[in-house]
Amino acid sequence: MIEIKNLKKIYNGVTVVNVPHLQINKGESIGLVGNNGAGKTTLFRMILDLIRAESGEVLSNGVNVAGAEAWKSYTSSYLDEGFLIDYLTPEEYLYFIGGLHQQNKAQVDEKLAGLAEFFNGEIINKGKYIRDLSKGNQCKVGVGACLLQQPELLMLDEPFANIDPSTQFRLKNILKDQNKNHGVTTIVSSHDLNHVTDVCERILLMEKGVVIKDIATSSSTLSELEEYFGVGQSIASYSVDKEENH
Amino acid sequence: MISTFFDHELKAFWRSKNTGKSIAVKVVMGLLLLYLFVCVLLIGLFLDKVLMATPPNVDVIVKFCGTILIYFLADLLMRLQLQELPTLKVQPYLHLSVKRNTVVGYLALTAMLSFFNLWPIVIFGPFIIKVILPAHGAVTALVFLFSVIALSVFNNYLALYIKRKANINGWIFLIAGVVLGLLLCGDFVWHLYSLRSASYFFFGNLIGKPYLVLIPLILAGAMFYLNFYYLKDNLYLEELGSKKVSAYKSSSEIPLLNRYGHIGDLVANEIKLILRNKRPRSALIMGLFLMLYGLIFYTNPQYSVGMKNAFAVFAGMFMTGIFIINYGQFMYSWQASHFDGILVSKVKFTDFLRAKFFLFTVVSTVAFLLTIPYIYFGWQIVLTHFVMYLWNLGVNTTIVLYFANRNYKRIDLSKGASFNWEGVGSTQLLLSIPLLILPFAIYLPFKFVNYPNVGLAVMAILGVVFVLTREFWIKKLEEDFYKKRYKIAEGFRNK
Repeated sequence: MIEIKNLKKIYNGVTVVNVPHLQINKGESIGLVGNNGAGKTTLFRMILDLIRAESGEVLSNGVNVAGAEAWKSYTSSYLDEGFLIDYLTPEEYLYFIGGLHQQNKAQVDEKLAGLAEFFNGEIINKGKYIRDLSKGNQCKVGVGACLLQQPELLMLDEPFANIDPSTQFRLKNILKDQNKNHGVTTIVSSHDLNHVTDVCERILLMEKGVVIKDIATSSSTLSELEEYFGVGQSIASYSVDKEENH
Repeated sequence: MISTFFDHELKAFWRSKNTGKSIAVKVVMGLLLLYLFVCVLLIGLFLDKVLMATPPNVDVIVKFCGTILIYFLADLLMRLQLQELPTLKVQPYLHLSVKRNTVVGYLALTAMLSFFNLWPIVIFGPFIIKVILPAHGAVTALVFLFSVIALSVFNNYLALYIKRKANINGWIFLIAGVVLGLLLCGDFVWHLYSLRSASYFFFGNLIGKPYLVLIPLILAGAMFYLNFYYLKDNLYLEELGSKKVSAYKSSSEIPLLNRYGHIGDLVANEIKLILRNKRPRSALIMGLFLMLYGLIFYTNPQYSVGMKNAFAVFAGMFMTGIFIINYGQFMYSWQASHFDGILVSKVKFTDFLRAKFFLFTVVSTVAFLLTIPYIYFGWQIVLTHFVMYLWNLGVNTTIVLYFANRNYKRIDLSKGASFNWEGVGSTQLLLSIPLLILPFAIYLPFKFVNYPNVGLAVMAILGVVFVLTREFWIKKLEEDFYKKRYKIAEGFRNK
């Protein structure tokens, strides 16, 4: 699905992303973890061709994403509020996105009915522009718009950060359902290790722009990650790293 | 504490991204402000001459005294329109251990930092020194000066008070505007009373009884404290902000545009952008006012028919193309807040560009239709407008979009357009050169050899050729955009 080759991004002489090689296969569910400044969002943006890589390339279904349009029809993503047209009402925005994928209003309404539980009655027909919604509700609109597009690749940057606990559970179920039952490749970044190990089958741990761990989720993954993120554990965890690295 | 606030305020000013990074813009803006200042100062210095030149023929001091009140009424009207509320700047301090009085005092004091408070002193100050000081002595001059300053302070806080109240209830703003308008009309239109004599009644008496200066001083002080206590009682975010309590926002559709597929959807979105956000909306309204621009030239009896037709080139370009110029110069900054979303969505950039052309065409067509009544001044004028309409659609749209690829500045849509320099950069200055010079470079040579109609024909043909070859230009613009898009998106992400 996604293949990254020698990807590098440098800001003011500091390398913020440096991924020599990374292969993400169709149907995988990827969790991206790492502390602030590890390069998660930058990596996302490069996969979405929003920023120019210093070197290297991102191939989506074998085609370089830079300058191409084809990947847009099967990739949906929500990184931040900058992805939403904030002066539209949620309905207007969702109809617009549906229209881009040749869905008429009735089809969009049908899909939105399936999202009623996720939206929890806070999104549709509330008489508010997206800019007047809370961050959590904006996130729901963004995720809803992603699902509406019936993507093959779904990318969410910290979707759990602003939403309430009920919505977090619902989102986790949606992600699992999309991945298991619809074969959607998901890439989700999060600071919540519980969520990410629950939803994702493969965890990528980034530090200072480098993917330092690439592990298949198992019962020990959570404790392993907690050990890494625990203060003063970094040197000890490196030695464990070697054995478990794939 | 107040000094710390001022220190932060200065830092906020100099470090603001909107202050204008390029020195060229700063210099031009500085020159414009200086020009404005010098103009006002000149009015102030020669106010006695100006007053003497107007009827009726009475003593200059009587006239001066009669003018002051009218000035301050007009001043209040202007302030209501243009003066900004110093608002959420205090938000980061509200939860800290800073006394409420300090915060409120700071808010109230910074409200004085407005150009509106400078003008009365610049206009009336020189007159007071030049005429009143020699005629009536230092004490009278001093009380006049104090009265003017006090009235200015009074106006300042009254305008802010009305604006704050209006945030909670929009009708208050309307009522205040209407009352002021009626006050002015009562004198100048209906002649029910004379504001001049009311003004003279006070200021004329001030000459003999300097203690009357206490009245404006007390008024100013009372208004300051009214504001102070109002702020203190309402030191909550929702009441400080300029954000109104929002009504139910309904979804809407623009039915005709449905027929045009993706492009229609994009145009519909952009029309919503314009109508639902303050700054583009005021750009549109300014454009509507500009429809009256032609009257300046066409009603002037001193211009010959040939002259008027030449001016029609200029006026026609602005009247049919003001939207293209005014709105187009900040293209794509209007969409800066969701530009990432556009880039990753399934919108083809060629469609995106076609939607822009479509929007320009729709608005310019409406503008051209609105200028048809100018046929009263001769069919040649409307014909010239039509040629300029074609020119705008063909050439100016393409130029504007070419420069849009070079615009990297974010715009906050929720701020007003007047005196808002956000998003203004060297691109806009460069853009104005081809927009303003090109039509004249083509027209004027023909005009000088007495074939103005040939000049018009050449422009019409060029306009049509550009419209017909639009797909070619869209391809070129797209290629150009793909080279610049990272830089554009990066710039728009910088809040």
